Amino acid sequence: MTHSVTIEPIGEQIEVEEDQTILQAALRQGVWLPFACGHGTCGTCKVQVVDGDVDVGDASPFALMDVERDEGKVLACCATVESDVTIEADIDVDPDFEGYPVEDYTATVTEITDLSPTIKGLRLKLDRPMTFQAGQYINLELPDVDGPRAFSLANPPSKADEVELHIRLVPGGAATGYIHEQLKPGDELNLSGPYGQFFVRSSQPGDLIFIAGGSGLSSPQSMILDLLEQNDERQITLFQGARNVPELYNREMFEELAREHDNFTYIPALNDADNDPDWKGFKGFVHEAAKEHYESRFAGNKAYLCGPPPMIDAAITALMQGRLFERDIFMEKFLTAADGAEDTQRSALFKKI
Amino acid sequence: MAVKNKKLNLKDKYQYLTRDMAWEPTYQKKEDIYPDESFEGIKILDWSQWEDPFRLTMDAYWKYQAEKEKKLYAIFDAFAQNNGHQNITDARYVNALKLFLTGVSPLEHAAFQGYSKVGRQFSGAGARVACQMQAIDELRHSQTQQHAMSHYNKHFNGLHDAAYMHDRVWFLSVPKSFFDDARSAGPFEFLTAISFSFEYVLTNLLFVPFMSGAAYNNDMATVTFGFSAQSDEARHMTLGLEVIKFILEQHEDNVPIVQKWIDKWFWRGFRLLSLVSMMMDYMLPKKVMSWAEAWEVYYEQNGGALFKDLERYGIRPPKYEDVANEAKHHLSHQLWTTFYQYSHATNFHTWIPTEEEMDWMSEKYPDTFDKYYRPRYEFLAKEHAEGRRYYNNTLPQLCQVCQVPTLFTEKGDATKLSHRQIEHEGERYHFCSEACCDIFKDEPEKYVQAWLPVHQIYQGNCGGADVETVVQKYYHINIGEDNFEYVGSPDHKRWQFIKGMAPQQKGDDEAAEKPNAA
Repeated sequence: MTHSVTIEPIGEQIEVEEDQTILQAALRQGVWLPFACGHGTCGTCKVQVVDGDVDVGDASPFALMDVERDEGKVLACCATVESDVTIEADIDVDPDFEGYPVEDYTATVTEITDLSPTIKGLRLKLDRPMTFQAGQYINLELPDVDGPRAFSLANPPSKADEVELHIRLVPGGAATGYIHEQLKPGDELNLSGPYGQFFVRSSQPGDLIFIAGGSGLSSPQSMILDLLEQNDERQITLFQGARNVPELYNREMFEELAREHDNFTYIPALNDADNDPDWKGFKGFVHEAAKEHYESRFAGNKAYLCGPPPMIDAAITALMQGRLFERDIFMEKFLTAADGAEDTQRSALFKKI
Repeated sequence: MAVKNKKLNLKDKYQYLTRDMAWEPTYQKKEDIYPDESFEGIKILDWSQWEDPFRLTMDAYWKYQAEKEKKLYAIFDAFAQNNGHQNITDARYVNALKLFLTGVSPLEHAAFQGYSKVGRQFSGAGARVACQMQAIDELRHSQTQQHAMSHYNKHFNGLHDAAYMHDRVWFLSVPKSFFDDARSAGPFEFLTAISFSFEYVLTNLLFVPFMSGAAYNNDMATVTFGFSAQSDEARHMTLGLEVIKFILEQHEDNVPIVQKWIDKWFWRGFRLLSLVSMMMDYMLPKKVMSWAEAWEVYYEQNGGALFKDLERYGIRPPKYEDVANEAKHHLSHQLWTTFYQYSHATNFHTWIPTEEEMDWMSEKYPDTFDKYYRPRYEFLAKEHAEGRRYYNNTLPQLCQVCQVPTLFTEKGDATKLSHRQIEHEGERYHFCSEACCDIFKDEPEKYVQAWLPVHQIYQGNCGGADVETVVQKYYHINIGEDNFEYVGSPDHKRWQFIKGMAPQQKGDDEAAEKPNAA
C-alpha cells in the first residue's frame, strides 16, 4: 500500500510504498533530503513528523535520541510510513517557487503534429485554466497505461487553458507508444499539475543559458516565451541539441524570435550532421556548442538544462569546468524506462545536479 | 499555497543563532587577525558562499552529546560488571585494541588540537563554528575511546601507557607524523588533509574495520563507542565535502593547489592505513572482510564515484592511486611479516596465522597469498617450532615521509623492494615509494626535520644504545609481558585460564579473573 508524504517547507508530495523508507522514496522521486550514512547511524537525515504515523525503524539510539523520539523526530533513512504523513525537513524554500496548487484537469486533444521523425507535438484544451510556472510539468494519464507519465509544458503560462507537450517515442514505451500510434484529436484525457522545481529563478541575477536536448526543448521553450513576453532584459541564449536537421524542430520559431529580440540568441547544434553539406551551423554535441560560444567561461550566468541524462551530465561537466556551480545550474532530467541510469553510484558531493 | 511559512526555516534559524557572534573588525586589519588565511595561496573571494554543512546550535549540541554519553557509559559499566572481556572471541583480538589505543586514540586528540587551531585561522564565521564543534567531538572521541578500552587494561598487557608510547614508539611515529604533518600545515591544507581526505575519503577504511571487528569479536564496549562516534562522524564527513567544494568554487587558482594536497593526503592516508590492513587480515580472530575487499568497496567504488563527481571541478583521482589499488593484494601480508619480526619492540603480540586463517587468506588473496606469503609463514612456523622464534635485530630503514619501514614492493613485482633515494643539500634521504619521494621533493625543508625513530635511536636520543633499554626504558614496554610472540605470552596464559584451559598464573592474582566471580 502506498501513502503520500508531504515534505515541508517546500510542500512537495511524494508517494511512499509500505516497505520503502521516506529517504528512498524521496530520492527516487527527485526530492533531495540531507543524508549521509543511509542506515540509521549518523542522524544527518533527521526530520520532524508534523502529522501522521511513522515507524522509526532501525535508527541507532545514538543517532536518534529518546527525547527526539518523544518530540516526533525520525531518521528518514530508516523511517517507514503507516498513514499519509507530513514531515518537516532541513531543506531550503526556493524564494522563486510560487507553489501553485496541484489540481486535476480534464483535457481534450486538439492537435497532434509531427515535430520530427521521433517527436510529436500534442496540444490539449483544458477544462479550465491552470496556473503554473514556465518549466513545470504535468502528469498525464493514458488509457491502459499503468500510472501517470510526466511531460513538461511547452506553452507559456499566458496560455493557461492549453497544454502543449513534446513527446518522443520511447522504443517499447507503453505511454509514448499510445500517444504516437493511437491518440487522436477529440480524445479526452485526465491530467494533474503543475509539478516540479524547474523554473526561472527570477530573483537571481545573471544572464540566462538554456541547454536543451531532444524533446527536452519543451520546458526551455515555455520559459523563453514567458521571459520574452515579460520583456525580461537579460541576455537569453538557447542551445538546442539534435541529431540531424529533421530532428531539429521548432527551429524557425526560435530563429524568428532571435530576429525580433536583441537579447535572445539561438544556437542549434547537430551531433550527426557530418555528412550534411547543407548544415552550416554547429556540428557536435550541444554542450560543445555552449563551450565554444562562451569560450569555456560561464561565470556570471545561470544555466537551465533540460534533456536526457547523458546530455545533462555532459552539460554540467562543461559548465562546472567553466566555473559555474551547483547554485547556478538548474535542470530537469528526462528519465525514461529505457534510461535506468539512476542506480549508478553517486557520491554525496552534489545535492541536485 | 502553504509555502509562506511564518516559522523560520532551519537555515535562517541557524543563521540568526550563530552569525551574530561574528563581526567585521574596525580598528584592526583582517589580514592581521587571520594571518594564515592567505599564506598557502588559496584565494577566498566570498566567505558568505560557505554553506553550513550541518546546522546544530551549541545548546542543542550539548543536549545531544550529554544523552549519548549517558547511554554510552551505562553500557561501559555493564560491560565491566559482567567481565565483558571474557566474552570476546579470543585474546588475540585485544592486540587490535592495543594498536587502536596507541595508534588511533591519540590521533583523535591531535585532531582536537588541530581543529581548535585552524578554527582560529578562518575569517569566515561558518568555518570557524564548524571547526570548533568538530574539535569538541574529537576530544570526546579520544576520551570515550580510552574509557571504552580501559577495562581491558585491567586484564591484558600493553595498554597501560598509550599516549606516552604514541610519542615515542617506532611504529607509532607513522600515525603521529601523519597528524603532525597536517597540523603543521596551513589551515586549508589541514582541512583538505583531515576533513576531506581522511574523514571523508578514507574514514570508512579505518572505522569500519575496527568497529565491525569489535562487533564480530563480541567487544560490546568498543562497538558501542563506535555507534556513539558515528553519529558525530557524519558531521565530519559533510564538513569534508563542504570544505573541498567551497575552496574549489572560490577561485580557479585553488584547483591545482587542492589537487596537490589530494595527491599527497590520499597517499599519506593510504600508508597510514597499511596498519589497519594487517589488523583486519591478521589480528581479528573472527574476520569481517579482507583488506582487499574493504579497499574495493570503500575506496575503489565509493572513492570512484566521488572522483567522478570531482572531475567536474577539474580534479582528477589521486596520483599513484593505481599503486594503492594494486597493493591491496599484498599490503596486509607485507606489514604482518614485518611486525612479526619486530614484535620484541611493540606493545602488542604477533603470531603465525592458524592453518584455517591461512586458508581464508588463500581464498581472499588467490593470486598472491600462496605464491608469496604462505611459504614465509611456513618457514617462520618451522623456525619457531624448532626453538628459533625469529626476531630481527637490525633496525629497519624508515621512509623519510610516511615513516613506515621500507617494506613495500614495486607495483607489479612482489619480489622487488620499493625504494627511492635522493640527495638534498648534501644529505641522503630514503623513501618507500615514488609517491613519498614526491611529497618530500615538494617541501624538503619540512621533511628533513622528520623525527625518525630509528635515526633517533642511533643518535642516542632514546635512552640507550641497545634495543632492550630503548624498549623498556624509553618506550615503557614491559619486556616479557607486552612484547614478543603471542603463544606462551602472559595474555595467552591468562586467556587459557579464563576459558578454563589452564591453571592461574603465578602472581596473577586478579580476583576478577576467577571464572566463578560474580
